[in-house]
Amino acid sequence: MKLTRFEMAWAVAALVGVFPGSVDTGFASIASMDVPGFLGEALRRIPLRAALGLRAAIWIVAFAPLPTLGRFRTIARLGQADRERVLARLAASNSYAVRSLVMMLKTFGALLYAADDGVRARIEIPAVTANIVPLRVRRVQAA
Amino acid sequence: MARHLDNPPPRFTDDVVPEGAVVDGETHEGEVEDGSFDYVVVGSGAAGAVAAHALAESGASVAIVEEGPWVKTREFGESVYGAFKRMFRDAGTQVIEGRSFVPLIQGRCVGGSTVMNSAIAHRTPEDVLDDWTARFGLGGAITAKALEPHFDALERQLHAHAVFDDALGQNSRMFLDEARAHGLPAERMHRYEEGCRGSARCFTGCPNGAKQGMNVAHVPWALALGARLYCSCKVERVVVERGRAVGVVAWTTSTEPDARRPRRVRLHARRGVIVAASTIQSPNLLRRSGLRARSLGEHFQCHPGVGLAGMFDRPVDMGFGATQGAESLALRRSDKIKLETLAMPPELAAVRIPGVGRELMQRFGLFPRLGVWVMTVRAEAEGTVRPAWSGRDKVRWTPAPIDMDRARRGMALLARMMFEAGAREVWPGLHGVPTAIHSIDQVRLIDEVAPDPRAFGFIATHLFGACRMGPDPRASVVGPDFQAHEVAGLYVVDSSVFPTNLGVNPQHSIMAMSRLAATRIAAGEVRSRVAA
Ligand SMILES: Cc1cc2nc3c(=O)[nH]c(=O)nc-3n(C[C@H](O)[C@H](O)[C@H](O)COP(=O)(O)OP(=O)(O)OC[C@H]3O[C@@H](n4cnc5c(N)ncnc54)[C@H](O)[C@@H]3O)c2cc1C
Ligand code: SF4
Repeated sequence: MKLTRFEMAWAVAALVGVFPGSVDTGFASIASMDVPGFLGEALRRIPLRAALGLRAAIWIVAFAPLPTLGRFRTIARLGQADRERVLARLAASNSYAVRSLVMMLKTFGALLYAADDGVRARIEIPAVTANIVPLRVRRVQAA
Repeated sequence: MARHLDNPPPRFTDDVVPEGAVVDGETHEGEVEDGSFDYVVVGSGAAGAVAAHALAESGASVAIVEEGPWVKTREFGESVYGAFKRMFRDAGTQVIEGRSFVPLIQGRCVGGSTVMNSAIAHRTPEDVLDDWTARFGLGGAITAKALEPHFDALERQLHAHAVFDDALGQNSRMFLDEARAHGLPAERMHRYEEGCRGSARCFTGCPNGAKQGMNVAHVPWALALGARLYCSCKVERVVVERGRAVGVVAWTTSTEPDARRPRRVRLHARRGVIVAASTIQSPNLLRRSGLRARSLGEHFQCHPGVGLAGMFDRPVDMGFGATQGAESLALRRSDKIKLETLAMPPELAAVRIPGVGRELMQRFGLFPRLGVWVMTVRAEAEGTVRPAWSGRDKVRWTPAPIDMDRARRGMALLARMMFEAGAREVWPGLHGVPTAIHSIDQVRLIDEVAPDPRAFGFIATHLFGACRMGPDPRASVVGPDFQAHEVAGLYVVDSSVFPTNLGVNPQHSIMAMSRLAATRIAAGEVRSRVAA
């Protein structure tokens, strides 16, 4: 399954809303990562049902500014603060389906975002490329 | 011996395999030859690998057929997505459907779910075995005494021992101190590992070859004894002739979306087919093979798990320590819950940390001070396993009210313990409770949360039932000799045959049951005829 250009733009906007990064926190924005490449690849691999779920999540988030903020525009045309307000409301929605789909979108974003070497360095975790980890402490038999 | 990978000197057990021992459906050129063996084992996880090894040890010729690829120790990386797409069923997107969606995590690779599990080893509790005798008529067949030599052997083979000091990690240390202060007996995990470096990476495959998953243990050991592995080959059905299992038909598979057309593989089994495809895939394989037992696909059970994240003032460093290093079984019998620690990979922590945008970024920045403690419930609810229209598996299950009540109490207990251990904030992850709570007084909000499964973020990794064992063909799928009531020479040896869930981590029980089954099958201690 492939996303259209519009769907991809909404997805990127939504994920930037979730993982914006900032200078003060020392995190990069997910916008600096290859979101279209990642989502495109993931959508070819996951089963159809999951892909449909992800697509539904993108549509819900895309048009959520209307029911949540009363703004007649897509998520891609909102500023970061408004995107966050929209997403926070959807994540706390009383509708289980809406909450779950937004969580699904966040999960896909997290799989890309937290695998980034810079992000991992910031949280003191080895880069994904690292393989054998150094032995940190001397082995001693527990009592 | 041929080197399987052209890498520098062999270092891990899976670096070297005997010449011709592996037929890889993903890379094999041309048609795959048909083969004839004494036994064909379907699945190379905890149950399949152990059965294959025990049968090979008895001198039988054995084929292991595994749907997923063999990902070698040298190939394990840190990326959760990388692991999902190559080693997890449905790239990690499988769910149980019911009143809520519960992520259902299973391995689909050589070694099965033992490749990504935490290698926690628990013997089957005796009260569970007593219950199986009393309620399910397994009496003389499945007893603590019969299982004991198999537990002993497996613990020796796989180096089961309590986590050493140097691999314990702060998350588990804090849990142990706090549980004891709280009056709950707690212990270091017993795990199958040799040389664990506490890299907290069990979920993406142990890069050190320390965790004794089946991919580095019973599979290569069986191959060394002459067994043959067909990996990336999915068994479509067991071939049954005149009421007897005589082989399997499989198709080559690939995890690559644009892989070439699948090719058929036929394997003949002279003495029997051993199904060990897991609680979810075994019943559906039996159904595709024409079995129609009334209880096939019924009585599915699990241990839903749910976790609590706490942010501490001091470093916790979940990136260091055995992935799951400590536990408390104090409430196993009274409340049917088990408490454990878990080092969450950052990708999964980023999902679990509440909030979006700046709020999420600020909290994620505190990852080095994050601790995660989890609980599993020995749930009473039963569900069903059926084939889905897509050719996949459909699992339906909803926790019972009593399960929800136990989950809620367990979460509240963990939250209290986290505050007592010094957490500054606890993130319960429950709909209807604030995303962050700041004091022990606020834990009552967890006590009061609606016992609705949709408010909880359960996941399921411990799976049972759906091919229940029992003496009565009307109420079970296999007999106490692990043989299907309907088809001679067709055995099921994974946890789909368990009459109930266990309340403890299942791998050890699965392996011991499978080893018991295989030794009995090899010795001919099974019914020579079945009912149908
Ligand atoms: C993340 C995680 C952590 C866990 N931690 C622990 C732990 O610490 N301790 C513990 O005791 N348990 C743990 N478990 C559970 C434990 O790993 C499983 O209970 C156990 O591995 C199940 O054994 P199995 O042989 O039935 O299935 P699996 O180990 O899942 O193996 C089944 C294999 O069969 C293959 N297969 C399925 N269908 C077919 C087919 N048609 N043809 C060919 N092959 C097929 C699958 O691809 C798979 O490789 C964990 C599980 C997970 C997912
Ligand atoms: S904690 Fe690390 S070294 Fe230890 S068994 Fe798990 S992956 Fe291997």
